[in-house]
Amino acid sequence: MTAELTIVGKPMPRVDARDKVTGKAVFGVDVQLPGMLAMKVLGSAYAHAEIVSIDTSRARKLPGVVAVITGDDLPHNVELNFGSRGHSFLAKHKAFFYGQPVAAVAAVDIHTAEEALKYIDVKYRPLPILLDPLEAMKPDAPLIQHMGEGASEMSMHNADVAEDDEDHTEELDKEDIGDSDIREAAELASEAQAEAAPRNVASHIVFKQGDVAKGFAESDVVIENTYRLAQVHQGYLELQNATANWDAVNQQLTLWVSTQAQFYERQHAAEVLGLPIHKVKVITPEVGGGFGAKFGLVAPLVGLMSMKAGRPVQHIYTRHEELQASNPAPASVITIKTGCKKDGTLTAIEAKVVVDTGAYSGSPMSIICIMLAAPYKFPNIFIDGYEVLTNKQSVAAYRAPGGPNSSFAIEQQIDIMANEVGMSALEFRLLNGSEEGYTRPDGTPQPKIGLRAVLNALARHPIWKEPLGPNQGRGLAIGGWGGGRGPASAIVKLEGDGTFEVVVGTVDLTGTNTSFAQIAAEVLGLPISKIHVTRLDTETAPFGPAAGGSQVTYSMGVAVIEAAKDARSQVLKVAAKEFDTTEDDIVLDEVGLRSQSKPDKKLSWPQFQETTSGWTAKYAPVLGRGSVERRKGAPGYAACVADVEVDPLTGYVKILRVVAAQDVGKAINRMSVEGQLQGGTVQGIGLALWEEIMYGADGRVRNASLLDYRKATPRDLPLIDAVIVEQASDDGPFGAKIVGEPSIIPPAGALANAVAAATGKRIFELPLTAERIARAMGRVQEYDAMTTTAPTLTPDPSPIRGEGRGRNGRNGHGRTNGKVKTTNGRASRKATARKAR
Amino acid sequence: MEQTTIRFTLNDRPITHAAMPYRTLLEVLRDDLGLTGSKEGCGTGDCGACTLLLDGKPVTSCLVLAAEADGRKVTTVEGLAKDGKLTPVQVAFIRYGGLQCGICTSGFIVAAHALLESNKTPSEADVRAAIGGNLCRCTGYDKIVRAILAAAYDEGELVDESASMPVMEKPLFTEGPM
Ligand code: FES
Ligand code: FES
Repeated sequence: MTAELTIVGKPMPRVDARDKVTGKAVFGVDVQLPGMLAMKVLGSAYAHAEIVSIDTSRARKLPGVVAVITGDDLPHNVELNFGSRGHSFLAKHKAFFYGQPVAAVAAVDIHTAEEALKYIDVKYRPLPILLDPLEAMKPDAPLIQHMGEGASEMSMHNADVAEDDEDHTEELDKEDIGDSDIREAAELASEAQAEAAPRNVASHIVFKQGDVAKGFAESDVVIENTYRLAQVHQGYLELQNATANWDAVNQQLTLWVSTQAQFYERQHAAEVLGLPIHKVKVITPEVGGGFGAKFGLVAPLVGLMSMKAGRPVQHIYTRHEELQASNPAPASVITIKTGCKKDGTLTAIEAKVVVDTGAYSGSPMSIICIMLAAPYKFPNIFIDGYEVLTNKQSVAAYRAPGGPNSSFAIEQQIDIMANEVGMSALEFRLLNGSEEGYTRPDGTPQPKIGLRAVLNALARHPIWKEPLGPNQGRGLAIGGWGGGRGPASAIVKLEGDGTFEVVVGTVDLTGTNTSFAQIAAEVLGLPISKIHVTRLDTETAPFGPAAGGSQVTYSMGVAVIEAAKDARSQVLKVAAKEFDTTEDDIVLDEVGLRSQSKPDKKLSWPQFQETTSGWTAKYAPVLGRGSVERRKGAPGYAACVADVEVDPLTGYVKILRVVAAQDVGKAINRMSVEGQLQGGTVQGIGLALWEEIMYGADGRVRNASLLDYRKATPRDLPLIDAVIVEQASDDGPFGAKIVGEPSIIPPAGALANAVAAATGKRIFELPLTAERIARAMGRVQEYDAMTTTAPTLTPDPSPIRGEGRGRNGRNGHGRTNGKVKTTNGRASRKATARKAR
Repeated sequence: MEQTTIRFTLNDRPITHAAMPYRTLLEVLRDDLGLTGSKEGCGTGDCGACTLLLDGKPVTSCLVLAAEADGRKVTTVEGLAKDGKLTPVQVAFIRYGGLQCGICTSGFIVAAHALLESNKTPSEADVRAAIGGNLCRCTGYDKIVRAILAAAYDEGELVDESASMPVMEKPLFTEGPM
């Protein structure tokens, strides 16, 4: 590796850009197979109901309909876990949210399939609906009970923490969390449960450090508030989709999936369809955005349909289905109390976190708890977290899952306290920001983080000198994210013309293939034009981790370095022999290789290739291999400063200026890193100002279209100034850290703080709609705007008891009621990926 | 219901096609004619991913019936580059990072072409207005706006240098009409 970087660190156009600006790139929605059928799904007409009967006979008779499936067609050789969304891809006996798939049709075209849905007769017996997690926790609330979970079982869970250890060992990541506090946390949680016994709790966790009572007693300032965030959609523009082709002769299923993680997708589909893993092959086309939502939501149902129909089948969600029945990001209610001394030193944090996970477990509840306190040096911590079931579409990850929920709450608390003690927002955060070695809420030491470097870089930014006019305000917020860390493997092989082919199995969402090309070029000492990156499918590619947790460049980048080094050393060995010289005498360039000391010794790349792959080749083919264990982890910290102007009459927020700063370790590709910071920031702005999935009292989404679900448009925004901070990681490629996620975290807090600065009013609920702000300013006498919650409907008697044995809890899957989750954020995040889909 | 026969010009080539009258132009282009560059992000006219030029004017083709194209000139993203040579707008998107996942890109590029046809010296606000009906979830719009401004003002520099740019191979799984 050369000391001076020539390619890594430069802005580079994406390697796939040419295909994408010409419309040639093939996305999942563009896949077409001969004889392919179109699929439509019939969603539950109730948010909570017993399915009494389904009659599909009329639909089957419709000309053009090839197959109709219901819960009865779920594979019989699989013991499905009905507490897990990923297993319940077709409702059986009961539906738990409006629009949950209860039947599906495959037909010769989409219009016929859609028509056929009208001929499926489903008889429901409606059950009581719970939409507000706080209502759902009340002792008299009805239970949302998945098949196989008995009421008595639920109370058992409250007590059976100790027995649960076998389950936990799967979920726990001992190395990460230091398990000392687990038992204690479990006991605490258990006590808390025994006292209050909240209902419909899918998981519960307590983080405790020091003594909060003592901390508050020593405080000069104590602030307590309740913060609410709405359910929001990840908003990827490519609708969820999958295409399946079942080969009955070989009993093999091929899936084309718009996914972030093809190896996960293969394993999940095999598991729930009862197929051996090697009989499932996943091909990932270009993916039009995922942001955490594309993990196994669609493929199993499409796979099952192709197995039944005996033909290729494609399913593409509609935008309406996306907003009504996919897997968005969770709403939460966070009550938080924080204290500090006169000199600004933080003393304690106490919080109760309620996360609305929807109809199935799988929310990032414990991450929200950890991230409330992790960015700061709180000596005393008590955080009590609940993941609560409601009759809404269940949630999944969304870019730094839960990060915005935590940040919106803690960053306003910090701002208020800074004001109280008369310190600037920046000063207060520099004083109290966490740093290496400080103990995090989960008991682990804070690794090397760049929070201070980010704040110092921001402090120098000219935005602080911009004058603010009337009704204008400036807000600052920070946020950090742990992210994923591998393992990963890659191959680098030499093609005939001297092109080095980098082969990976990771999905390229953010421009990672371009970064790999830069990395390989840098290591090989060749121009980037000599590098070609290919993503292969699960059958042919070496293992690559999920494109989630911002880990692809960070972990796979190292595998690419190793593979490129390996390839280079093989090339040098061969050349040294051929030229009868030493390896360090060899120079590689665009045309070929030569010896520096013997000018007559040179080979073009095709000539060289002859010596390793030709008919009479003397040497072994060049095949570089890189296979690396998982990294140590390289959290990314970000900060955002936003200037806003609030219309004093209407509460409308105009964004004047936005600066987004982040420590990325090393920006492998400056252009794509800037793009990540800008894109994440705007997603953060969207959920801060406009986005909210709104439910009616019947559990239907009232704004299930892009007209009514308001996303950031080009006209809402200024240019976003991205400040890249580089504090090298220990084990990332060229010092890179995770990049993709952190930038979405701070904007909500920054905007709330800016609105407070502009108006003198604090808004404690997202989105910061004009209505809410106008109301806070006293401009609206009556506020009857839409909310995410609705009263519980009158209960229908006796919720149905499911049949079959519950297997909840095994393998860490979907234990849903009353379980105390004694785990840390990372481990739970893995469990999330497994459980939720 | 009977199919209707539609005659129109598609990317400079005359075409005759029969389709059911309820089908949209977007659907017919994508499913029947293999032009999958225009995308469906919503089907209700709210995202702009399906934007194409109908007689030179940008329209959301998910809201246009195929039959409405009869006798008219349709230009999709596939029809912008001539003989494999990209337009300045396309080059600018590549060079200035105006795309990430790329699913929205066709719509933005078509909308940008329409803008620069009618306004050679757009302001940032003009650009934002012209793409105001297009949603992108990845970029935060910053680099898209910069790319379009670059296409307007640095047109001469934005020649297609395809030879020096590595191009991703077409994925291996494409079957059927592309
Ligand atoms: S698909 Fe036509 S505007 Fe969204
Ligand atoms: S680049 Fe992904 S939606 Fe625009």
